[in-house]
Amino acid sequence: MDIQSYISSGKLELFLLGELTEREREEVLSLAKTHPQIQQELDELEETMFAFDNMTGKAPPQDLKDKIFSTLEPDFILKEAPKASSAPEQTKVVPISSPWKPFAIAASIAAIVASGAAFYYADKYQERNDQFTALLQDQSVMADDLNQVNQAYDEKDAQLNEFVAGNFKRVEMRGEGFDMQKDAKVDVLWDQNASKVYVAANNLHDLSEEFDYQLWAIGDDGPVGIGLVNSGEKLTLQQMEAVAQAGAFAITIEPKGGSKAPTMEKLVVLGEVV
Amino acid sequence: MEEIQLIAGLRAKDRKTTEYLYDKYSRALFAVISRIVFDKDIAEEVFHDAFVKITKKIDRYDESKGRLYTWMANICRNSAIDKLRSKEISQQTKTNTIDDLVYGMESQSGTQEHIDGIGVKGLLEDLNDDQKFIVEYIYFKGYTHSEISEEFEIPLGTVKSRVRAAIQVLKKNVARI
Repeated sequence: MDIQSYISSGKLELFLLGELTEREREEVLSLAKTHPQIQQELDELEETMFAFDNMTGKAPPQDLKDKIFSTLEPDFILKEAPKASSAPEQTKVVPISSPWKPFAIAASIAAIVASGAAFYYADKYQERNDQFTALLQDQSVMADDLNQVNQAYDEKDAQLNEFVAGNFKRVEMRGEGFDMQKDAKVDVLWDQNASKVYVAANNLHDLSEEFDYQLWAIGDDGPVGIGLVNSGEKLTLQQMEAVAQAGAFAITIEPKGGSKAPTMEKLVVLGEVV
Repeated sequence: MEEIQLIAGLRAKDRKTTEYLYDKYSRALFAVISRIVFDKDIAEEVFHDAFVKITKKIDRYDESKGRLYTWMANICRNSAIDKLRSKEISQQTKTNTIDDLVYGMESQSGTQEHIDGIGVKGLLEDLNDDQKFIVEYIYFKGYTHSEISEEFEIPLGTVKSRVRAAIQVLKKNVARI
């Protein structure tokens, strides 16, 4: 596992933005446990996001705070509620000496029982209500997850359809002829009719933070940059910008973000369309 | 207060702890909402509901799945996006941009706000056009990275690496200010 390229893949940022599926989240969390660098990067990114939010915002007005805390007020009191159930017992000590005494005692016992029951059921009700809310929340979390999974599935499905229906040509690009990375190997999959281009990095070294790999389509008008290739995502298909005409494809190393024209000294791989 | 203490206090429904949480995080969380929801009254309403939700859902917050701020910020962000996409305010076409933020802050009269305005400008310095675009759509318009990829036909991998690059610039600027 190459930690540095995992960190620079952008996955941790998406984790913090809440954009990963449950499965991908689990992956990030378990890697963070075993790799302190990942945990550290997560902490730093979170600090950054908090600082960014904190520095770009204005404090909410005081009356909003008052309103929020008055909404929350019943919740704060709720925790002290059980003490109140001892109160009705005090009614027992009221001295009554009249023929109504037995009735009064019976009535106060009934009152105690009734209020005890009321507290008991109120408590039960609250408990059920909490459980119900918890279930609703569970359900909405699951619905969210399902939604994300569906979206990911649709993406893959559309990709598969494209490959089955399309007319993709495989262009192998190799690094043997160049000085940069002799063992580099990257495949371009190109559907000329639909102008679609995908790239799969089989073997590409990881770059430091300041550089990116850039893919070029070389046609009659010279090389045209058609996107950045992420070396961290090995053997997955990365979609590039559309190309209708090209005689060859090549990858160069460029400063972060890519360049307008390729730096030929840093040509990594080249493959001709046959 | 340590994060563990804070969470324990919130779970015990302790008023003081809740106030501490509010004082420490309300500014940042309100910012998360206000930059997506432009209307001031609606933003306040969303923040009210989101903060109440945070205190109610704290029992279900799982420390092993991420830090508290991220969890809270995502609740706020999602509430804001839900509101934005609901019928109620979809008629309003005005959306926030980075420029609104920078110049809006600067035009405030208070000294505190004025200093903040300079801070914001400094924060966003050195973002190139691609990265500015990413910050604007993710932070101010509530887009997800796959929505950006789809709508603007930018390959997913390119969006990811631009998100990373943009936040790295912010990180550097935050450390500097």
